[in-house]
Amino acid sequence: MKKKPFDFILFITVLILLSLGLIMVFSASAPMAEKETGNIYYYIKRQLVFAAIGMVSMMLAANYDYHKIGRKTVWALFLVSVVLLILVLIPGIGSEANDSRRWVVIAGVRFQPSELAKLALILFFSYNLSRRKRPLDSFFRDLMPYLFALGIICVLLLLETHLSATIIMISIAMIILFVAGAKIRHFAILFVPVVVMIIAVISFTDYMTPRINSWIDPWSDPRGSGYQTIQSLYAIASGGLFGRGLGQSMQKFLYVPEPHNDYIFPIIAEELGFIGALLVMLLFLIFIWRGIKIAVHAPDVYGCLIASGITALIAVQSLFNVAVVTNSVPPTGVSLPFFSAGGTALVLFMTEAGILLNISRYSSYERI
Amino acid sequence: MAAPGMATKKRLMVLLVSFTVIVLFLIGRIAQIQFVQGYELQKKAFIQQNTGRVISPIRGTIYDRNGKKLAISVQAATISCNPNEIAKNKKLTKEKIAEDLAQFLSMDKDTVYGIITKNVSSAIIKRKVDRETEIQIRTWISENSVRGINIDEDAKRYYPGGNLMSHILGFTGDDNQGLMGGIEEVMDKYLKGVPGKILSEVDARGSAVPSEREKRIDAQDGLNVVLTVDETIQYLVSKSLDKAIADNKVMGGAVGIVMDPDTGDVLAMVSKPDYDLNRPFAYPGNIEIDIDPSEWKERSKETVEILSRTVWRNKAVSDTYEPGSTFKSITASAGIEEGVVTPDTITDDFPIKVTGWPRPINCWRVGRPHGTETFREAVYNSCNPAFVKVAQSLGIERFYSYVRAFGFMDKTGIELMGEARSQFQTKPKEIDMAVASFGQRFTITPLQLATAYCAIVNGGKLMKPRLVKELTDSGGNVVTRFEPEVVRTVISKQTSDIMRNILEGVVSDPKGTGNNAYVRGYRVGGKTGTSETTKEDVYIASFCGFAPADDPKVVVLVALFDPRGESHMGGVIAAPVVGKIIEDTLSYMQVERRYTDEDMKSMAAAVTVPEVRNKSVGEAVKALKAAGLKYDIEGEGNTESIVLQQTPKPNAVVPEDSVVILYTYRPEESKTVAMPDLSGKTISEAAYAMNRLGLNIKVSGNGTAYRQQYKPGTVIEKGTVVEVEFRNMDNVE
Repeated sequence: MKKKPFDFILFITVLILLSLGLIMVFSASAPMAEKETGNIYYYIKRQLVFAAIGMVSMMLAANYDYHKIGRKTVWALFLVSVVLLILVLIPGIGSEANDSRRWVVIAGVRFQPSELAKLALILFFSYNLSRRKRPLDSFFRDLMPYLFALGIICVLLLLETHLSATIIMISIAMIILFVAGAKIRHFAILFVPVVVMIIAVISFTDYMTPRINSWIDPWSDPRGSGYQTIQSLYAIASGGLFGRGLGQSMQKFLYVPEPHNDYIFPIIAEELGFIGALLVMLLFLIFIWRGIKIAVHAPDVYGCLIASGITALIAVQSLFNVAVVTNSVPPTGVSLPFFSAGGTALVLFMTEAGILLNISRYSSYERI
Repeated sequence: MAAPGMATKKRLMVLLVSFTVIVLFLIGRIAQIQFVQGYELQKKAFIQQNTGRVISPIRGTIYDRNGKKLAISVQAATISCNPNEIAKNKKLTKEKIAEDLAQFLSMDKDTVYGIITKNVSSAIIKRKVDRETEIQIRTWISENSVRGINIDEDAKRYYPGGNLMSHILGFTGDDNQGLMGGIEEVMDKYLKGVPGKILSEVDARGSAVPSEREKRIDAQDGLNVVLTVDETIQYLVSKSLDKAIADNKVMGGAVGIVMDPDTGDVLAMVSKPDYDLNRPFAYPGNIEIDIDPSEWKERSKETVEILSRTVWRNKAVSDTYEPGSTFKSITASAGIEEGVVTPDTITDDFPIKVTGWPRPINCWRVGRPHGTETFREAVYNSCNPAFVKVAQSLGIERFYSYVRAFGFMDKTGIELMGEARSQFQTKPKEIDMAVASFGQRFTITPLQLATAYCAIVNGGKLMKPRLVKELTDSGGNVVTRFEPEVVRTVISKQTSDIMRNILEGVVSDPKGTGNNAYVRGYRVGGKTGTSETTKEDVYIASFCGFAPADDPKVVVLVALFDPRGESHMGGVIAAPVVGKIIEDTLSYMQVERRYTDEDMKSMAAAVTVPEVRNKSVGEAVKALKAAGLKYDIEGEGNTESIVLQQTPKPNAVVPEDSVVILYTYRPEESKTVAMPDLSGKTISEAAYAMNRLGLNIKVSGNGTAYRQQYKPGTVIEKGTVVEVEFRNMDNVE
């Protein structure tokens, strides 16, 4: 197949997201870094290193023919992810933070298996679905194996108590199945038990109660479960149209929890105002638009599904993050792609963008 | 492998549309938070970002003009707690913590328990905790590894003078903000400084994060305020007023003001009754009230109301009164300035009829008027009809334009709040002016009168009275210097000269109404006043004086409200107080005494000291006054007390005006002092040195001290009369 230059708009969008992300990580992390390590450059230094690794990884992926990602690779990736997700649960290997086990340390590098699992799932689904000879007609015969694979990963994630990753994983899987041609009525069949389960969790366990309460009225417990949401809203509201100015956030000073991580978007809104927040939203929308365009014009189903999966990942995760910080959905911890500090995630997002760029090189459309 | 089909592309378009809708929804949500809910949320964010544990800045010190500290901030602590952390204590229970803290802080146990279990992240338990208690609590914390108690430095206001400056300064509230309209409140914005802040990180549950690092923004200390007031003069005035109040059974309090006429600087401003600035809400022992001290509830609405209308009230600026005859100086100044009268103009004090009033206006000495006299004599005698005539010559318009020019229609603008507005008839008629010419039927504040007198004696310039000289920073560098302010020129220098001359006569002329204010060696001028009030038989005795008459350094006003003693006449009871204040103040200011020949004669004149032992103080004082002697009481100053001992002893022959010390207790030994070395000193220098030590001097000869009765260093009893011989050394050689 003839290779063309990759999608330039997508490439620029990723670079702008990354640069803006680095600037904001520096601004938002400085007080936290100063407090934790005495060095305001602590987080930004790490993030710069990962950004560099990510850039290399992206360029490699963009030039590595995705067709070469074959049966062995996708199975291997899937199995490695499952093993790592199991390892994470074993005390001594998995490291605990905020009552959740989400990291493993491999060769001195802290690594978040759930991030890898997202890519593994996308490739695993895309490969196997693209190899099918007949349509996804039967729920049990055709869909069940995929739901089973998804189920394994979700159970492991839930054991980590990583609810947000579970939701993202399910969303990506559903989107890939949807694009691959799964029957709408099968989604309806899936929908019923999911709703029943959600209602059951809400009614019979206390896990969701404070989250739901603080979602409906964060001020019912401003020092408790509503704290993060309130601080986030304070930050966004303080921004106004043009923001306080870069570096001028007040809320990043020990008010907003994790201002460099899950709650970086409120700091962007506070420092750069509505204009800045709008810019970030539009950048993600451009990413989604180009991603879907690449999927539509992919030369084959495999490329189409990978592109859909990656686009779905970036879209779901970024929109979910913004939905949480604006209190549009009940709060849960989800990071903002390209922005939040965090090495594994950044490198993988960059790699995934690279794969998208690679697919675009084989597409059938004329690019600018 | 085939490219994705149409169905797939359709589904991808559904996906794109869905994501776009979500993006638009979220953008709308951000806009809603920023623009619709924005104001409310921003306000809350601001409050949050500006609370937390506050580090109080150190409030600036207030100094007198010589750098003596009048109000200082001493270290104190604010004890606060983080209830979430308190709950985590392992060694002590919450109950035990409450109990211990209650004991340290002398608080109620249940109150403390209520605070430390509140559902907040930070609550103040007690402010202004002294150093000692703070150390106790710190030790207790470390011994029991108590969590969740925070100790922040704070400042407590302390007034070394206690009652001395109560009305000038006012006190501060719980948040160290100035109150009571005094300097503390008026200068609050300079004194208070900028608070700092301690932020401790709080996680979603409101607990402090394990790491003990705190973010700290240091407080910026307040500026110091340097007053024009001289603490020593304030003390002298306060003491003189106390004595005058006791001597004359003064029921309504008293005011004493000392000003520098050239600058308008207030050197002292005393209002009685006063209160202790360190315990402003305490039971006032110095006034008569119906409440028993045991039933006094500090800070209750009722007690605060009582305090505000009594001891907290600064009568010098907040109360108005009829100035009475002291106002005649203003009428006289206007008349002389306008040329309608001169000191030598012949006038009289025969009853004068004024339109609008049925009865003629008489001189105060109704029975035997002074008759035909010069205007100067009319001032000496304080004859009302003479002033009515001057006012009539001026006419209503001109008369009141002078009243206005002297500042009586406006607030003085001194750096105090609560300045009362003077009361004049809006459209004065003939009769209003006639009685106003001798100070009746309108009311002014004591400060307005003192300020006008400054203009009369300083060459005619009305100065804005001021209390604040400068602001300094903690290093003592002057940040802002306030300059004296001339409001306007009211009379010419010539008129001022003439007025000083006339008013000096009021005091120096043996028959002058102000003769009781005479001080040997200092040329005192002034005018008496006895005002009526709306209540029958309630008078205000006052005297406004100045000295030295040729170059006044001070203007002194004393007003005694509702005296019930033997006299209510200003010339009898207020003039001596002003005389004493002038004498003490000028001695303190080291203004040299220049004795007139008359003074010298009277100083040399011999008087025999009467026997006053076993008499009541009241009788003793009367006897000494009759003999031409002064007195000083050691011990209780009550007029009923019995004099147990006196120095000098009875029948001793001493110069006129010598001081006899009266002891109302039996001293184990008399107060003694060491005899100073007077050699080479002039008479005035020697007299000053001796008086300061409480010794009397009997002068003989002229020139400089040549021989003294006791050798320098000899220990002698206070009150002893020491013979000192002066010689003119030129003649010897």
